[in-house]
Amino acid sequence: MGRHMPESTFIVQLDDFHGFVVKQRYPSSLTLNEKVLNLIYYEHQKEKKEEINYCEIEDMRIASYRSALYPGWMVCSVLKQDEDFEILRSNLTGSGRLILALITVDQESFSLEEILEKGSVLKDLSEEQNLAEVFITPSSALLLERMQAEGIEKAAKLSIWLRTQVQNDEIDLREAMAPLMNSGIVKVELVGKTSEMVFLVKDIFGYREPPVDSILKTREAIPSIAEKYEEFLAAFFSPPPPNKGYNPTLRVDDPNSPILEDREKISRILAEKLQYRVLISLREQPLTVADISENTALPESVVRKLLFALEADKVVIRFEEEDLWGLLTNPRIESFLPEYVLPILSKKLSEKEISSDAAQRHLELLMQTWGEAK
Amino acid sequence: MIRGVYVLGEQGNMIYSKEYAKSDSKASMVEFLVNLAHFLKTVDLEEKTEYMNAAIARIFYAQRSTFTFMFVADKADDANQIEDKMSELVESFMRDYANLAQANQALEGFDDKVDEIAVTLVKVAILGFAGVGKTTTLHLLRGETIPLVHDPTIGVSIKKLPDEISNANIVLWDLAGQSRFSILWAKMIANAQVVIIVTDSTLENVLRSKKLVTLVKDEVPDAKVIGIANKQDLPTALTPERVGQILGLPTYELVAIDISYRDRLIQIIRRAILEGKAEAKMP
Ligand SMILES: Nc1nc2c(ncn2[C@@H]2O[C@H](COP(=O)(O)OP(=O)(O)OP(=O)(O)O)[C@@H](O)[C@H]2O)c(=O)[nH]1
Ligand SMILES: [Mg+2]
Repeated sequence: MGRHMPESTFIVQLDDFHGFVVKQRYPSSLTLNEKVLNLIYYEHQKEKKEEINYCEIEDMRIASYRSALYPGWMVCSVLKQDEDFEILRSNLTGSGRLILALITVDQESFSLEEILEKGSVLKDLSEEQNLAEVFITPSSALLLERMQAEGIEKAAKLSIWLRTQVQNDEIDLREAMAPLMNSGIVKVELVGKTSEMVFLVKDIFGYREPPVDSILKTREAIPSIAEKYEEFLAAFFSPPPPNKGYNPTLRVDDPNSPILEDREKISRILAEKLQYRVLISLREQPLTVADISENTALPESVVRKLLFALEADKVVIRFEEEDLWGLLTNPRIESFLPEYVLPILSKKLSEKEISSDAAQRHLELLMQTWGEAK
Repeated sequence: MIRGVYVLGEQGNMIYSKEYAKSDSKASMVEFLVNLAHFLKTVDLEEKTEYMNAAIARIFYAQRSTFTFMFVADKADDANQIEDKMSELVESFMRDYANLAQANQALEGFDDKVDEIAVTLVKVAILGFAGVGKTTTLHLLRGETIPLVHDPTIGVSIKKLPDEISNANIVLWDLAGQSRFSILWAKMIANAQVVIIVTDSTLENVLRSKKLVTLVKDEVPDAKVIGIANKQDLPTALTPERVGQILGLPTYELVAIDISYRDRLIQIIRRAILEGKAEAKMP
């Protein structure tokens, strides 16, 4: 991937009291006025949905990135005359994402120049991150629950249901359902001429897996800590009785089920972009802070903070003497075939709640999704 | 600026709290402070004020007898200045309120004292449709030469007011009135303590401006809101009383291009800031 160093880049925060504050700029000689900052912000507010936006202001060609996760923040790049925004779009989005994630963790140690030189970006969400988005977006978690009960539903009916649930007439079903659609959990299609149907084609399940790859690799490559590592894992997953340990196969309505309360935490860890980077670099084997920093292109100070947060969530553990960090649990979200929709389908069909075309289409979609040896 | 002031008792119970700027993480912040207070009980601060960094904020804390005092401030603030303010607060509390607090009685007058010490920054937003004279009013307040052409504001223009007006720092947010900028208004008035709605005193404009009153009451219900009946020199001008009736706001007359109105306007704003504080206190 080609390194791209924009002509200049700056980070702005709109503070409720002080107005537009330029937090960092590169190069430091870059001058900006209030009007330019205002117009960039305005153009962004106008285009509500986009993360990245392009505009031309006072002879400057500016790409600006913002994210609903960090309201008021913008990362702006001034493009050179011969640069094409469309070609740079995904790179700029990736670096904007990374810059905001970093600067909001630790403003002091953040260096814009370093990030730009490395050309680091945060990639689009991975599949498991897409799935995690569902559980951390309350309206989509709610919709998933409804779809688990209904299996198939008219979009219009679902929309009304959602409005009464959240007591908000303006909520847009498609927007609320976006995480479900992006991750392929539901499909929305027109059946016949008029009725738009929502089909549940995947269900998902969040849990903590024992870090199998990491422990195997440790036995082989760092045998000196293998025993200690296994003790840590045993204490979490299978402690001596009467403690129960973590058991994701317990039914959800069992009060000892770890799934319900833990599901959101797992989702957050997977969806939080920087923690996720640290997590995937540790899936292979225990590492030092320096190794993780190298793998993730994150400054060591940031890596340390992220590790402490993950430690508190029982995802990583520290081998103090060796100064290594390893996975204690491996948060995962997996999808599975929701076979329970089949009896619902036949019941709805026999009660004429849905047409046979709709039922037929639902089966097709399930087969398309799950048919090939999965 | 100081965003929050907290006084905790022996059991980590909240004796007094006040937030000047709303933050999304309020609940977790309070929980954090209570935990911090418990922790502080185990260390000896020796009457010093210390601080720690937390995300974008900096938390200052001090202990005296069984009480823990905390400020949540910005990292950018001058730490010495905040420490001085902390000493001032601690002294005032220990002198006049510690006994009341110990006896579980109301801390009459403490709130005013806190405002006096902690309010270092007041946000005043000026809202109104295009060309009614908001930027002109801003220039008048700042004692600058008054431009006579309408050079529409883009987005928002943010300026400090001179010290003579109040001992707190006042930042004026002069919003753009052109309708394309209306998408910014709600965001831009967030956390304003005072909102000034400017009209050009024509019937048409005043009627339209009722919408702005609704917006302000929805977005910043705690702010002090006043109306301005500007352009009183023009023959079409409604009286300030009439404008006030329509808007449902205390409303004052103004000719923003006339420098002789400056002192009056300063008085009005000064009063609005004080009344804003007084009203914010009423339950
Ligand atoms: N006659 C008269 N003209 C005024 C008065 N106050 C302002 N003006 C004129 O009204 C015009 C618009 O004034 P501005 O202050 O720029 O208007 P604004 O409300 O800031 O407008 P936007 O920035 O577009 O929202 C200017 O030509 C001013 O000189 C007044 O009291 N009397
Ligand atoms: Mg203006």
